[in-house]
Amino acid sequence: MPSWVQPMTQKFKPFLTLRICLLVLFYFNSLCMLQNGKMLRRIKSHDVAIVCLNWAEDEPQSKTDKDGLLSYEDRTTRFFPPAPVVPRIGGLSSGDTCLGDENEESIQEFSSASCQRFNILCSGDKDGCICFSIFGIFPVGKININEVPIHVQSSGSKASYRLQDASISKVSLSGNLHKLVLLCSGKLIDIDNISHSNDISGGLHCLHLDTSIFFNRKNELHQVSQQASSIQYLVEVVRASISMMAKQWSGAMNLFNEKFSVLPSLITAHGMESSSEDEFMSLLFGTRTSPALHQFLVSSLGEAALKRIAKSVDSAGRELRVVVSEHLQPAVEIISFRLAELRGLARWRSRFQNIGLDEKLIDGVTERIGMLVVQVERFSRVTATVLYLFQNFFSWVLKCVKILLSEPTDQVPAANSEFVVLFLKFLLDKDPIKQLLDADQRFECHLDTAKHLEQLVVLGGFTDTHFLERSLMKQFNELEESLKEAFSMPFTTISSQIHCQALLPLYPITSLVDLSSTCNLTSVSFYKQDEDSQHSGPSYRLTDYICFKIPDGSLNLRNCIGVIKDFSNSSTSTPSLSGFLLRIPDEYECVDLSLYKDSQIVVLLSERSCSDNPGRSYIVMLQTENFSFVPLSKIFPSNIYSIQELAALELQLDTDYGKVRSVPHAVSTPLAVSASRGVACVFSSRRHALVYILDEDEDEDEDEVSDME
Amino acid sequence: MAFEGVCHLLANLVEYCNSSETSYDFAEDEAFNSEIEMSNFMDANIHVRDAIFDKYSKGYAPESHMGEGSSSLVHASTSLHDFDEGIFKAEDNPDCLRSRWQLEAYLNQQADILEKDPSLVPLNSFNATMSQLQALAPELHRVQFLQYLNALTHDDYIAALDNLHRYFDYSAGMQGIFSRSSSSFQDIIVGKYESALLCLGNLHCYFGHPKKALEAFTEAVRVSQMNNDDSCLAYILGAISNLLSKIGMSSTIGTIGSPYSLGNNIGLGTPLSIQQQLLVLLKRSLKRADTLKLTSLVSFDHLSLAKFDLKHVQRPLVSFGPNAYTKLRTCPADVCKNLRLSSHVLTDFGVDGLSASSDNGSFSTSWLRNLSAASNSWCSSSTKSRKVLTNDFDNFHFHAQPSPIPAAVLQLAGSAYLLRATAWEHYGSAPMVRMNSLVYATCFADAASSSELSLAYVKLIQHLAAFKGYSAAFSALKLAEEKFPSTANSHIQLLKMQLLHERALHRGQLKIAQQICDEFGVLSSSVSGVDIELKTEASLRHARTLLAAKQFSQAANVANSLFSTCYKYNMQVENANVLLLLAEIHKNSDNAVLGLPYALASQSFCKSFNLDLLEASATLTLAELWLALGSTHAKRALSLACQSLPMILGHGGMELRARAHIVLAKCHLSDPKFKVTEDPCSVLDPLNQAVEDLQVLEYHEMAAEAYYLKALVYNNLGKLDEREEAAASFREHTIALENPYNEADSLSY
Repeated sequence: MPSWVQPMTQKFKPFLTLRICLLVLFYFNSLCMLQNGKMLRRIKSHDVAIVCLNWAEDEPQSKTDKDGLLSYEDRTTRFFPPAPVVPRIGGLSSGDTCLGDENEESIQEFSSASCQRFNILCSGDKDGCICFSIFGIFPVGKININEVPIHVQSSGSKASYRLQDASISKVSLSGNLHKLVLLCSGKLIDIDNISHSNDISGGLHCLHLDTSIFFNRKNELHQVSQQASSIQYLVEVVRASISMMAKQWSGAMNLFNEKFSVLPSLITAHGMESSSEDEFMSLLFGTRTSPALHQFLVSSLGEAALKRIAKSVDSAGRELRVVVSEHLQPAVEIISFRLAELRGLARWRSRFQNIGLDEKLIDGVTERIGMLVVQVERFSRVTATVLYLFQNFFSWVLKCVKILLSEPTDQVPAANSEFVVLFLKFLLDKDPIKQLLDADQRFECHLDTAKHLEQLVVLGGFTDTHFLERSLMKQFNELEESLKEAFSMPFTTISSQIHCQALLPLYPITSLVDLSSTCNLTSVSFYKQDEDSQHSGPSYRLTDYICFKIPDGSLNLRNCIGVIKDFSNSSTSTPSLSGFLLRIPDEYECVDLSLYKDSQIVVLLSERSCSDNPGRSYIVMLQTENFSFVPLSKIFPSNIYSIQELAALELQLDTDYGKVRSVPHAVSTPLAVSASRGVACVFSSRRHALVYILDEDEDEDEDEVSDME
Repeated sequence: MAFEGVCHLLANLVEYCNSSETSYDFAEDEAFNSEIEMSNFMDANIHVRDAIFDKYSKGYAPESHMGEGSSSLVHASTSLHDFDEGIFKAEDNPDCLRSRWQLEAYLNQQADILEKDPSLVPLNSFNATMSQLQALAPELHRVQFLQYLNALTHDDYIAALDNLHRYFDYSAGMQGIFSRSSSSFQDIIVGKYESALLCLGNLHCYFGHPKKALEAFTEAVRVSQMNNDDSCLAYILGAISNLLSKIGMSSTIGTIGSPYSLGNNIGLGTPLSIQQQLLVLLKRSLKRADTLKLTSLVSFDHLSLAKFDLKHVQRPLVSFGPNAYTKLRTCPADVCKNLRLSSHVLTDFGVDGLSASSDNGSFSTSWLRNLSAASNSWCSSSTKSRKVLTNDFDNFHFHAQPSPIPAAVLQLAGSAYLLRATAWEHYGSAPMVRMNSLVYATCFADAASSSELSLAYVKLIQHLAAFKGYSAAFSALKLAEEKFPSTANSHIQLLKMQLLHERALHRGQLKIAQQICDEFGVLSSSVSGVDIELKTEASLRHARTLLAAKQFSQAANVANSLFSTCYKYNMQVENANVLLLLAEIHKNSDNAVLGLPYALASQSFCKSFNLDLLEASATLTLAELWLALGSTHAKRALSLACQSLPMILGHGGMELRARAHIVLAKCHLSDPKFKVTEDPCSVLDPLNQAVEDLQVLEYHEMAAEAYYLKALVYNNLGKLDEREEAAASFREHTIALENPYNEADSLSY
């Protein structure tokens, strides 16, 4: 049994996804994806608390004819070895990303596994925002339900409404990605005459949004998000590499500066006015060893300390080399390839422009990545030079120290005096590696280099000829910015293409307190309707089912559950909106409910007990086909709270409506069910999570009891 | 840098040494005697490697149709003509004696120039200087080596051979070649004969005598094995594999003394094919170089391996059992891995400490140049810190500061980028081709030899031609010609001919196309050495011209004979191209059924060599062929065309894109179920885009076709004005095609 029930605080809400072994938690406003107990990703897409999630996976049958003709391929795995991971020092993750230590393999696995089938994660929050993320990691759209105009056809005339103070309580995206049904509580106001206060204002509303853009451009979105999410991951790798190199190098340089900064003060103490460079120079050319330098080399520095510094610079250099050649360069190379692929896609305007892949923006990013490659090349060359000069300098100083101490020098490798001069002139008081890793540095470009770059423009080179004046870090920041800009285009473009199709007010909520709280017990799901045989074959129909508990007192009903279906069917030929009302016996209380596979409803009931001792609870599975759906009006004002016109059916637990399973604990919300796994997860009031296999009849299949701490 | 300037600076050095208050002699006396040997053989080492890399750099790029023998036109640049004067003026002056150290620095510099751009060094005057130098300093044997290099780069076989012999005869016992191994002192004693043989082999290889080269190498292998000279052996193996990869040989049997002499360790009784031998040699050389820490050779071997993997399917030499599954595809990930490993030569420079060179004066010239520039800030104001941040090490500019990284290392590191660009040309990613060539041109312009740099320029200009049209390409070409003025620079010359030929074909100027084809034929004639790739290209272009002239049977004949040549020399990648051309020929001669097998064969070749873009265009041709078979196949053709679209629209040039758009529209139009009135956009959109691209290319034939289709569509839609407009454009292009105007100006640009 997988360990997907984690130790968790109450701030987390669990969510069982359809993805095997993947658990998504939401922690205030960010999503955390866990797999086998390891954190995969944490995504912040909302500003306020997330309330509900829905993960819709594309079904292979829902292909259109045209899709079958287009064949896209992610060529990266064919052309490159596995992508680099975030560099680590001694087993510790160095980057400030939230990617854990041991899950780099799994994130790779996750991203490649997620590429097999297209899927979209929808998340709704308290303030009425819905976010769409492909594979759960690449955000492609966000809409605020408060700003979506709702056009309804009210008996011939058109009217526009808007929701105010809406709070999402459930979202569900259909399996073919065509439509989204969402339940939200909020006030409905008429845009045309705001002053006109409506009696239907506050309540739970059901909305149908048209998301056919996801369906129509499924393949294209798949490609774009697959490339983009990998790029985003690799950008993190680059960032972590750069920050780690900066850390390593500054460590070594601090030691070096600390020891060698003694020399200038020694020189002044000896009453001289020369610089340390001069002193070393005169030592190099054999004129004299000033007392200050002598004292510095022999006593204040010493052979052991010199060797220690040399070793630390050497090991820092080694780290730098490893990071450059195993993390930075490969990451930048793969980013550039993936961007080249994206650019190729962007050139296909007729298919990619309307999902917001902008040719110009992608072109700009491609330019930037080219410049970054040049910068990385420059960095590695500077690093190689500097490290070599350091090595040469240290062996020369060591030799000098040995000579001053009259020790044999045959063990010390010979040094190149020209490079010692170079070191003294350019490296003793400067640090080009640090400068390149610093975002605020600007360099002066050699005149010839500038001319060369300008020549290359004619040959199709970088139009920004001043990019060599930037540091590596600055170039990276610019790349990131333009990436962000380019990837926000699909986000805004797609968001603008999601429209509201229909509205159905379900029940009123009178008090404002209830309106803002999110205690509405609701569930929405889509089922394949295979009974109508004329639609057999690839084009089957998806029917939405919405079930909700009507709060006591609303619509003058108590302890009632409403179920409606076919809300989002806009065509006239197919069955239209219908529903039924179910009254739960008074001795039970409905804790939560959820739709389960094959149009079943799982209701979690608990005994109302007068005393304090916790009563038993029941998981009741109801077959909706056993109830008769009564047609309801769809036309706007007459559909307002039309559920109240239905006569409530009495639910008898002992009858043949469905299966009843008893739980020997008092339970609390939420109830989570997973149709694909056939399990239900409930939380007992003793803070245990219990997992039930729903399809089996035995009572002893309570699989796992895990403490919540 | 003119030599005059160098001499001037040399003179300055002496003055500087004399005038500076601290006696600023670069350890002249004490270092002098001890360093001679070291520097000598270090240098020889560099030269030998340079020679290898030079060969290599010319060999690897498939587009580099270097007719090595063909560049006999030495355009003597005058930049170094005042060279004799300079050095003798200096030597006449008794105050200004050159130290040996300076002389060596001068020789080093000359070697660098020779390597970077041989056309900058005039053959005869340089030889004269060298002989004078030799008369003055007979113990400087490297002068002979330099003369050898000079003769080599100027294609003077006799002189090169002569000088090489002299160098190794006169420097008897003094110098080895390889200094990297820890036991370098022994090498000095024993490393002579095999090094000479190695150089001889390289010489033969350069002049295109593979058999003689192999003989020399085989002998060198024997001698170095006898002398336990491991480093030399590693270099020889690298050189042999370079030779094998470069020349088109169908078999080595009979050329190498015994067929088993190289491949006997595998324990197979059968002689190996040339590719297998090459792979075995490369791997062995790599292993040896790795254990001996010959980082440059390691990098070189990785590059060769990458090049090998690019064009060859690696099959296990022995597969055990019936279930041994072999996937017959090239492995691009291996190419990538090898390229990454080869650029470690730069990042890992100096990491082992073995490559630490001691004073050898190799920088004294470049050093002095900067000294005069920096002397103000350095001598007078060494105490005050600089206000402006100058980046002292990263100018990508050879003259910026003397760098401890030798140019050979930089060249190797840069070659990885150039090879990457070539690899992406094959695999089909246009932005990656551009980016990698651009990175090369930006970062390695200082160290690269002119032929390598011009190759990068060629790739950039080809990219421009494919994506921006001819006018942009030709203006860039003009700049490139200014930058590489020597007519001997065959890369640029070839590029010019390629561009002119393509433009002539597009414009329908068949006479001009034929004329350029003939020029290609002259270049590839066996009079000036055989370059198999150039030959292939010449016949390919010949067949294309014939195809454009609608002489189908002749075109097919040329293509067929080309195919058999490519097959003979195992040039699979070219095979795919030729097959596609054959399919095109049959398609245009209304013989679609005959064309189908060729297109399919080309497609499967492309699949196994991961030639994605070529595969897409083969698929497109396949679609056209099906379409030609009748409207009942329109659906199949449409699905094929759609398959190729993502690749073609993403990475194809304008011509290919336009073709794909037209095919797409044609597929729709010939589908009997398709109604134009229902969905005019799905036809008009591609046609409009095609017209846009074709106008830039001036491709009259296809533009006429696109306009014709457009007029048809508008006619069906009942939009008469638009129809007339399209018809008028159609007429314009047909007229332009039939009466190619201004034949004269189309050889200029």
